[in-house]
Parts: sequence; C-alpha cells; structure tokens
Amino acid sequence: MMDLLRILVAPVVWLAAFSAVYGLQGVLCAAPPEGTVAGLPMARVLLALSFAAALLVQVALLVLLLSRRFGASRGFVRTVSLGGGLVGVVATVWTLFPVLALPLCQ
Amino acid sequence: MNALARHRRLTAIWSSRPGWKGLFSTVNHNDVGLMFLVTAFFYFFVAGVLAMLIRAQLATPHSAFAGPEIYNQIFTMHGTLMMFLFAIPAIEGMAIYLLPKMLGTRDLAYPRLGAYGYWCYFFGGAMLLVSLLLGIAPDGGWFMYPPLTGKVYSPGINTDFWLLGITFVEISAISAAVEFTVSILRYRAPGMSLSKMPIFAWYMLVTSLMILTGFPPLILGSILLELERTFGLPFFQVELGGDSLLWQHLFWLFGHPEVYIIFLPAAGVVSTILPVMASTTLLGYRYVVAAAVALAILSFGLWVHHMFTTGIPHMGLAFFSAASTLVAVPTSVQVFAWIGTLWKGRPQLRLPMLHILGFFATFVIGGLTGVMVAVVPFDWQVHDTAFVTAHLHYVLFGGFVFPLLAALYYWLPLATGRARFFRLGEVAFALIFIGFHVTFLAMHFAGLMGQRRRISTYSPEDGWTAINLISSIGGFILAFGLVMVLIEVVLHLVVRHRAPRNLWRAGTLEWATAMLPPAYNFASLPEVDDREPLRADPDLPARLARGEGYLGEPNGMMRETLAVDVASGTPEHHVIYPGNTHLPIVLAAVTGLFFLALLLKVLWVAPLAMIGVAVLAWRWVWVLGRREDAGAVSVGCGLSLPTIAEVDRPPGWWGSVFLLVADATLFGSLLFGYAFLWTIAPGWPPPEWIAPSAIVVALAGVGVALSIIGPFFATRANAGGSNPAVGLALSLAGSAAIAAALVAMLMMAPSPTGHAYGATLLVLGGYGILHAIVVALMAAFLIARVRAGYTSPRRRAEIAILPVWGAYGGGIAVVILLAAYLPVALS
Ligand code: HEM
Ligand SMILES: [Cu+2]
Repeated sequence: MMDLLRILVAPVVWLAAFSAVYGLQGVLCAAPPEGTVAGLPMARVLLALSFAAALLVQVALLVLLLSRRFGASRGFVRTVSLGGGLVGVVATVWTLFPVLALPLCQ
Repeated sequence: MNALARHRRLTAIWSSRPGWKGLFSTVNHNDVGLMFLVTAFFYFFVAGVLAMLIRAQLATPHSAFAGPEIYNQIFTMHGTLMMFLFAIPAIEGMAIYLLPKMLGTRDLAYPRLGAYGYWCYFFGGAMLLVSLLLGIAPDGGWFMYPPLTGKVYSPGINTDFWLLGITFVEISAISAAVEFTVSILRYRAPGMSLSKMPIFAWYMLVTSLMILTGFPPLILGSILLELERTFGLPFFQVELGGDSLLWQHLFWLFGHPEVYIIFLPAAGVVSTILPVMASTTLLGYRYVVAAAVALAILSFGLWVHHMFTTGIPHMGLAFFSAASTLVAVPTSVQVFAWIGTLWKGRPQLRLPMLHILGFFATFVIGGLTGVMVAVVPFDWQVHDTAFVTAHLHYVLFGGFVFPLLAALYYWLPLATGRARFFRLGEVAFALIFIGFHVTFLAMHFAGLMGQRRRISTYSPEDGWTAINLISSIGGFILAFGLVMVLIEVVLHLVVRHRAPRNLWRAGTLEWATAMLPPAYNFASLPEVDDREPLRADPDLPARLARGEGYLGEPNGMMRETLAVDVASGTPEHHVIYPGNTHLPIVLAAVTGLFFLALLLKVLWVAPLAMIGVAVLAWRWVWVLGRREDAGAVSVGCGLSLPTIAEVDRPPGWWGSVFLLVADATLFGSLLFGYAFLWTIAPGWPPPEWIAPSAIVVALAGVGVALSIIGPFFATRANAGGSNPAVGLALSLAGSAAIAAALVAMLMMAPSPTGHAYGATLLVLGGYGILHAIVVALMAAFLIARVRAGYTSPRRRAEIAILPVWGAYGGGIAVVILLAAYLPVALS
C-alpha cells in the first residue's frame, strides 16, 4: 500500500489543488472580496497565492520522494513514483498559470 | 497422483454444473468472463446496426427513413449501448477472463461478486433493449442533458429507462473494479512483485481505480435526475434553485475519465501483444506504468472541456484547456515506447499486428483532433458538429475497437484451443480500416462545413449531400468488414483445427495453462521471478501440471488459492473460494426488481426489494467461514499459511476499503453539487433555512462516538478471548443514534420539493441514514455470527471489517451535519 501511495500521491495532490483553485475562482467570482494588494484586486492575489502554495506542495513532495526516508528503495517503484512527482510539478505549473494571466471573471 | 488424475480431481472441484443450466449458478471466472464478452459483442452488434440506420438516414438529404422522434432514439441508443453495454463490459469480460491466468492464480478475489455483476449487466441491459424494441427508448442524446431530459420536456418513460437501466448496469462496473483492484494487489502467483506484474495487470489496476472514482459522479447525477423526475426534487430546475449545468459537471466528471477507462485497457492490450509480435520485450516498462498512472489522474482534470460553450469565465476555460493539452504528453510516452519496442524487435505482420497498426494510425489522428478541440476558440467553432462525432470515433474506434480486435485474434486460440483455418481476417481488416477512415474522415469535413450532430435530416442547399453519401458508403464497407470478423469467429468455433501450444511464443503466464484453459487454470501455482516466466522457463507448464508448484495436492472439495503480499508477492494466506451457487443471479434479480419498481412507478415495491436485497446479502456472507480454528494450512513446497478467516486484513477488508473509495467519491460529488448550487445557481439564497438543533447534534455526537468505539471494543475483546458482543451492541446503538439524529434533522429541514436547498439536504441526510442502516446490519450480523460460533480469537477476520464501516458511517454523519448547520450558524 505504501508503494501505491508513493506512486499516486503527487498527481492526486495536483488534482485536488487544481479542483480547489477552480472552485476558489468560482467562489471569488460569485462573491468578490474587497480590497487590493499592491494595486492588484484581492481575488487575483488569493488565486496567485494558492497557485504558489500548490507549487510549493508539489516541490516538497518531489523532494520527499527523492529522499532516503520517504522515497522508495526498490528501483521500479522509485522510477515510477519520481515520474509521478515530476508530473505533479509540471501539471501544476502548466494548468494553473492562467491565474496570473487571464481576466478574473469574464 | 499423476497429472491426469490431478486434472480430473481439480476439474470436479472447479467446474460449473453440467449443461447450459450451469451458467446460472457458475461463479468461475472462465465462465463469467466469456459470458460478459459474448453479451458485450451482442450489444456491439445491436449498436452497430443502429449506426447503420444512422448512416442510412444521413446518406441522402430529406431522408424519409426515420422521423426525428425515432432518429433521436437511434443515435441516443447507439451511443449509450456502445459506451455502457459494449465497451465497458467488453473490458470487464476480457479482464475477468485473462487476469487470473496472467497473474498465475486460479480465480479472482470474489467469484460470486463477478457473477452478480454479470447478472446486473444482463438484466439492466435487457431493460434498455426492451425500451428499444417497444420504441420508447431514451432519446435525449447519450449525455442526457437536462432541462431537455427533465419532466417538462421529456414527460415519457424513455429517460427513466436510461437513468435506471444505466445505474443498474453500473453496479457491474463498480463490482468488477473492486474485484480487479483486490485481485491484482493480492491474488498473484508467489514471487510476482509489483515490478514483475504483466503490463496488462498494471493497466487494469489503474483502470479499476479510475472506475471507482469515475463512475460515482454519474451514478449520483442519475439518482438526482431520477429523484427530480419522480418526486419533484428540483436539482436541475433553475426556477427552484437548481441548475442544469450541475448535470453537465457531474456527467463529464464521469464522462471524460470514461474515455480513458476505455482507452487504458486497450493500451494494455497493445503493450502486451506488440512486444510478442516483435519477438521482444516491452521497451521502458517502468515509464509506461508511470505514463499510465499520469494519464489516469490527469484525465480527471479535463471534464470542463466538454463545456467550453456554456459561458464559463475565461480563466476556468484556460485551466481546462491547458490540462487537456497536457494529457497528450503521457499518451505520447506510451506511443514512443511502442515505436521503440518495434524498433528493437523484429516485427512480423501477423493478424493481431495489423489491427495494432490500424490502432496506431487511427488513434494518433484522433489524438491530434483532440488537441485541436482542446483549444477553446477552435472548439467554439466545431462544438456540436459532425467534427466532434468524427473525433470521438477516431479515439473510441481507433483507441478501443482496433485493439479489441487485435486481442480477439490474439487470445481466441487460447480460449478455444483452435487456430484460424480460413484467412478471412486479413480481408476483414482491410475493409474495416478503409471503411472506417472513409466514414469518419468525411465526417470531419462535414462538420467543418457546418453540419451539426444529431440532426435527422438536411436539405440539398446545405451542400452536404456528396460528403454524407461518401461517409455512408464508408460506413457500410466498415460494417461488412465487421460482419466478416463475426463469420470468421463462428467458423473458428465450428472447424476443429488444433492450435499449437503458445502459438505466439509469448512469455506471460496465461499461455502456461492448457489451451483451452481448465476451470482451475493451473494444476499448481508457479513461483515467479521473471516478468515473462514462460520465456525464462519454457518447461513451466509441464512442471505445473505435474503438481510441482504450490497447492499441487487437491484438498477435499475446496477451491483453493493463495493471497500474497502487495509489494513483494510473498505468499501470505491460504484462500478458499465459495463454489457454484444461484445466489448471484437471485440477488441481481431482486436488485432489478428495485429498479423496475422505480421505472414502472410501483413505488411500494421498491422498499420490499431493498429488504430482499438485505436478506440475500446476509445469506451471501453467512455461508462463508467455519466453526473451528484451522491453524496454519500446508500449501505445498514446504510452506504453511494461515487461512483468510484467521488474519487481520481478510479479502473482505480490502474489498470494503476500495468500495468505500467509490462510495466516498459519490459523497464528495454530492458535496460538490451542494457547493456548486450554493455559489453558482441563480435561484439562491433559498427562501427558508434549516433550523440547527442542539439535540440533533448531541444525539449524532453520541452515535458517532459509539460507532467508532464499539467496533474497537469488539475487536479488542475478541482478540483477548472474551465476548465481543458488547462492543458490537454499542456499534449497533451508535448507528441507531446516527439514523435517529439525521431523521430529526430532516424533519426540521425546509421542504425538499420547494427549493434545491431542501432537496440537497434530503439527499445528504438520506445518504447518512442509509449508511447507518448498513452498519447496523453488519453489527447485527456479527452478533449472530458470534452466537453461532463463527468467531474465535483466531477467527477474527469478520470482526475486523466492522471498524472500517463504522468509521465511515460516523465520519459522513459529522460531515453531513457540518454541511447542513455550519453555513446557517455562520450567517
Ligand atoms: C461501428 C461503426 C460505427 C459507426 C458507423 C458509427 C456512426 C456514428 C454516427 C454517424 C454518429 C452520429 C449520430 C448523429 O450525430 O446524428 C455516432 C454517434 C456516436 N457514436 Fe458511433 N459509430 C460507430 C461505432 C461507435 C463506437 C465503437 C462507439 C463507442 C465505443 C461509438 C460511440 C458513439 C457515441 C458516444 C455517439 C454520440 C451519440 C450522441 O450524440 O448521443 N460509436 N456514431
Ligand atoms: Cu473529454
């Protein structure tokens, strides 16, 4: 079971983060928060922060999977789980960067 | 005992009852797998005939072949039958039949569950077939969007056939997925570690996990829409706080993963057959596994790409557009692994290989048009045109039917012990390949020229006449090719032309069984230390037949096998399977009665059927187990193992965990629906809120505590040799308290028919109450088992399952109360 977890964890966490950010975006558009930070609307700031947090978690997972303590020792599971870790990072960057670039609610 | 005597003994133990009546009581995967496959191909035929009707209708402008009412039924049923009654069951059948052989074991984890799944599929499919024959088939398109499918615009019974029939059939998908997951993880040949599993098993493991998390949103959506149609709970009616977009989310939360659920097993077939055809091994096994896992999970983040035209904000569109282009990467990793495999081997152009090449050509094109429609502005142009139907057939036919035909030609000699005699297959392939591309390439252009999908007719001025005629001619060439495949299979069954053993020189274990495989697969179980055991040791089949592996000496009339450790494949438990029984078909029939009662609106029958299901389920588990300790059992090769009744994590525990994964996904989808309506649906806030009640909270709190503590005490007491009944009774009381609390909560909730808010609360509460009843039944069952002497400090496996369910039932009760009360308390 532990090996299965190592293999699945990073992409599953991406899926959770991805859905959460999408949900957050829906909520922020339904009930826009007040205020600005450095001239940026609050909603944009919150979204960017959650993007950063998701990315941080993914990088942390990758480091864990690489580490001796939590990473797999068997060659096979190690390759597959590191592949998963990489997918998590790439997918997070690629699918969530729109929070920085696109109009918020149109 | 010599090999022949052993074969006779094992056959007596494992066979179904003689004659065709044996089909109704068989639980053996050899039978059930073939039953699934034959039925699935029957539906392929029916849906294919419907496809021909579609192409006949569209061949000419102003066609008078079928009016719009009939045409709507035809294309809806074509899509529905292909997706739900052909593709998924064909995969299930193939995997049920092949997996135990490939994994070097004698059956799947839960033989009776497999048979139950089949009968649910059989009866559920029959419901849909009847609707088709009576001309009252579903007609809202295969994705059944409300409001079109709501009561107002579809007052007839047509839609109910879909919602209830498909949900009924999906029971078989869920049960098969639980069975595959546990089988692949625990029921393998000794020594087969995760990295030595045949690649097909990896693909099926990933697919099964996808079914467990992909199907529940659809099941939930169907339940909600049926509740709206029958009882007026307005989940999808905008005037009453519902939102028809909720359906689209739930449907595509299922629908997109569904495409990969169909594709991944096919890719598993390709990854299995291709190396054999090239006399080599799969290049980059690890990377292929990683790609399959990545593909599976990424595919859950794409669903909104089916909703690009619904007015979702641009940022949301961009998320899903990006994710949709991303899946092309792991898919390409697999394609490159296949090309590399061909490169390093010596490919031979045998018949299965032809179909694999057909798959390549077609699927790659489908993937490319897929990337095109993932680009939002392009999709805005072609959405709901024939371009999309063309794309989806390139992916589904290319990605699934070609590999399936490759699999058919590859494994048919195994299943029948015969080889092809006539060479129709090559001609058939040519017709299918040419016919397919003519049909659907043309449809791309028709779509670009503006032809919408699902139109029953068009006029000559539209300028689509020639292109549609070409497409239809292609369609009939394709059909001709498929009929030739059918003829060849029939000839194959009639002409006795013996196939040599392992005729493709494959390395996986299914070729180590006799051809045609005996009911028990292996006379003794192999010890595996290679990914291709047969290549490493060509003498293996003979040694297994001589009984030189594990479990070589038949023991009484018991169907025995081994369960292994997940990661390493070290043998851990001795397993005894139940034998032939009518329980699965009877249980499926009573389950069907429940659905039939809802369909025909004889609602008072439904609860009776539910009680029937509960009684039969009780009987189902009661017949297992024994009244005395067995201790360690000798399994041959000098090894002794505990039986599954005497362990902490029996198969039932594993099955429960994965079933609860599906269950939790359903619950999660419900919470998503609640949040979605709350934030997005226009008709909110509701006119009236629920009134939080301290008594309800207190009662539920006691219930939750008891349903967690009770099972804990029971396990502890049992292990210490004292009576677990007290703990079990506490658990029972806990469930009762939870049910009472939730009933009380619902009595204080606003009317479920007045606003989607009340309706959602009703479903949330009902879900919790249902689980409380299930946990209570389990506790009561265990009390009866303890009294009847089925448990002991050693025979602890049955009690070990209760904590899992108790914790789940308690956990959801907490979440339900939070979801109901917290928002009100905060505002
Ligand atoms: C045997 C060859 C096949 C032919 C000639 C064929 C033909 C067609 C045509 C012409 C349509 C468009 C109907 C319309 O929009 O008016 C259609 C729809 C569809 N087909 Fe097929 N098809 C074939 C096989 C398959 C297979 C193997 C699958 C899936 C495994 C499939 C799944 C679908 C689905 C899901 C739809 C959409 C139905 C809807 O709009 O509700 N088809 N097919
Ligand atoms: Cu999709």
